[in-house]
Amino acid sequence: MSATAVHAGGIADHIHAEPQGFVRRYIFSIDHKIIGIQYLITGFVFLILAGMLAEVIRTQLLHANGGFVSPDVYNEVYSMHGSSMVWLVIIPLITGGFGNVIMPLQIGARDVAFPWLNMLSFWIFPVAGLMLFSSFLIGAPVAGWTEYPPMSLQAGPGTSMWAAAIFLVGVSSTLTGINFVVTMFQMRAPGMTFTRMPLFCWAQLATAPLLMIATTALAAALAALFMERQFGVPFYDPTKGGSPVMWQHMFWFYSHPAVYIMVLPAFGMISEILPVFARKPIFGYKMIAFSSMSIALLGFMVWAHHMFTSGLAPFLQLPFMILTFTIAIPTGVKIFSWTATLWGGKIHFTTSMLFAVGFVGLFALGGITGIFLAAVPFDFHVHGTYFVIAHFHYVLVGGSLMGVFAGTYFWFPKMTGRLMNETLGKWHFWIFMLGFNGTFLPQHWLGMLGMPCPSTIRSLHSGTTSRRSRRM
Amino acid sequence: MVENRAAAVSLGRGFWTVTAVLAVLSVIGIYFCYAEPIDLIMPAVGAQPGEQVDTLLRFMMASGTALFIYVAGYLIYFSIVFRAKATDGPDAVGIQIHDHNVLEFWWTLIPTLFVVLLSILSVKIWYQIQVAQPANGLVVESLGHQWYFTFRYPQVNGEVTGEMHLPINQPVVLNTTSSDVIHSFWVPAFRLKADMIPGLINTIRFTPTVIGRYPIICTEFCGTDHGMMNAQVPGENGKANPGAEYVVVDSPADFQKWYHAVQLKNANASNALPSTSGTISLAGGDAAAGQALFQQKCSACHAIGPFSQRIVGPGLKGVLDDPTHPKLVDGDAATPADVATILQKGFTGDLGHMPDATQNGLSDKDIANLVAYLASLK
Repeated sequence: MSATAVHAGGIADHIHAEPQGFVRRYIFSIDHKIIGIQYLITGFVFLILAGMLAEVIRTQLLHANGGFVSPDVYNEVYSMHGSSMVWLVIIPLITGGFGNVIMPLQIGARDVAFPWLNMLSFWIFPVAGLMLFSSFLIGAPVAGWTEYPPMSLQAGPGTSMWAAAIFLVGVSSTLTGINFVVTMFQMRAPGMTFTRMPLFCWAQLATAPLLMIATTALAAALAALFMERQFGVPFYDPTKGGSPVMWQHMFWFYSHPAVYIMVLPAFGMISEILPVFARKPIFGYKMIAFSSMSIALLGFMVWAHHMFTSGLAPFLQLPFMILTFTIAIPTGVKIFSWTATLWGGKIHFTTSMLFAVGFVGLFALGGITGIFLAAVPFDFHVHGTYFVIAHFHYVLVGGSLMGVFAGTYFWFPKMTGRLMNETLGKWHFWIFMLGFNGTFLPQHWLGMLGMPCPSTIRSLHSGTTSRRSRRM
Repeated sequence: MVENRAAAVSLGRGFWTVTAVLAVLSVIGIYFCYAEPIDLIMPAVGAQPGEQVDTLLRFMMASGTALFIYVAGYLIYFSIVFRAKATDGPDAVGIQIHDHNVLEFWWTLIPTLFVVLLSILSVKIWYQIQVAQPANGLVVESLGHQWYFTFRYPQVNGEVTGEMHLPINQPVVLNTTSSDVIHSFWVPAFRLKADMIPGLINTIRFTPTVIGRYPIICTEFCGTDHGMMNAQVPGENGKANPGAEYVVVDSPADFQKWYHAVQLKNANASNALPSTSGTISLAGGDAAAGQALFQQKCSACHAIGPFSQRIVGPGLKGVLDDPTHPKLVDGDAATPADVATILQKGFTGDLGHMPDATQNGLSDKDIANLVAYLASLK
């Protein structure tokens, strides 16, 4: 199928009859805008649930010796918080949600390439989400969102449910990735060349191959975990000849690109929002588009930087360390370009703009601590501590979730025809900034001083020989 | 491709003043990163090569601080100076500039040079930690269990708990592994960490340099009481928690005193110090006694199962008559004498490392009993 054939009446022009009934129109819809909004609503429901789990974690650690919930419940809660935030909140909101609503409109396509597949990818997601949360009924997973074996082999039946649910979310992600890649390659409107494509679409174009390719590694790892747990097929159990480190490689081969799945579309949103409210074009369009693609490519080559303490051959640590440092270059270029976009503008500080500017500052901090963690010698010290928790919350909350909020305030009028309340929005922004930094900034120091994570109890009130901790 | 070049001439009110202020703030930040004692934010160093890690941390903190001051400073400055004013019309737009090649060239090149510099420094310090440490030091082992650590020393029977004593200024080779799930051995004061992975031996090497008592912390989630594998955590009613374990760095004399006390405490009558030379008489080996001994001394690393069933070492079921069992010592099928030789002299090779009879605290009689037990497994 040549490109001209597409524009002359190929898949771009199959027009669906307007669906009549409520169910076909709003529930089992094949319209990308409705599906995107369904993703957003479902994702925000899961965000509230996962946020409540986070409140349990903070309440437990309010007292030095815990005591709000038992250690077992605490372990379930933090594992489910991580799993649901990654797979049920950020990834669906930022790819399935905003990608579906905005991307086809921006490239001038009537819909995504495969609307029925799109409906299928959406409906897998709430089913998988309910499965994941129902694992609380049979003993939820306890070994964190990373579920390292052999711990995850010993845990209760909920861990198998977890593996099945995440597998399904992975299928949904993969289908969305295929759909987006085909849409962006085949269905751009005449004249919408790649070099004219909006930066949000560039970000989705960088993300979609990650969804397609990296998720397969996770699916294989999860299938093996499920088979080992349910049918005793030895993949990971060292006493049966398996290797627990194999899980770590497969998991991080997915989960490092997954970080970029979560943050690249947020980069795209910020690149849309800053120029609108600064009343000037984005600074360095080509470099921002190029840096998204290079971050996606480099993202595949750095997974073992999560495994520096796992007995990796020492010389193998070097390429992973240096490649991870390298990601700082395109990321830095983006941050500088966003900052320069503000220069010389007529800036209107709407709620959306506040979140976008806040994003640049917080993400810069998360990126800087990412460089700290990539350095093998320092990683030996802080691996597995609250320093890591602080770092990735700056990236995923200060970055991705701030992007989701900015995008929601920005595109809500496009979706509904109504503006959101600016006064409430500004309260939202300032409370969020205060609460977020108040929670996560001190965790950098906690980690360096010796607080491991997860920790059912706060563990820094005795024993360390630091001056700072003696004062605490 | 600079559009509207005329408008881009003026950088805006106070741009260079702000840049100068940010430079001063960055210099102050960098000064603090180098001048303040590191124990404001890290536990005091207790071993080499901990100080090199701190050198790297100071460099990264200094450069990160400067970068963040500039990014945040310009964000705030632009937000204030370039906000839309009440006097601007509703359609007022900012300066229509799309890019600036020279500026973009420099802000790509400078981070690239920084990455090169950071890589050189990190690789140098990595070399100190991973390669340049003395290879032959005191070999100590630590095993992770749910939910405590144990330690093993040469010529000490069994496992030591509670405190791992080390002599000051003596290089240490610490081999770690686990008996169940993955744990992680972290001494913050030493800046070193090794994941304890069942089936693998992970080694860290260091030299304690400061006499003191340093908490050991598990940093890999390992089950319900993972939080108790942390010496900083108090137990019930103010008593020490069972997983509260420490590395204690002693003077050489204090270490010798402790070491002999542990040797005596852990020795028992049937385990008189063995000989490591001469041929062992295997006659009269008692399989039942061997089985008890196996449970006590071997089962942490060896399963009674097929050869492929590894914990640390291979499974040992049918070691003397299983045709699939690799030829152990000299290429021929294993004989009781071969097994006795391995028990006596230890093993180092492709299958890993097994301590010798001295380190395991096995007498000749014990070896005969163990061989009889292993021969009885068909």
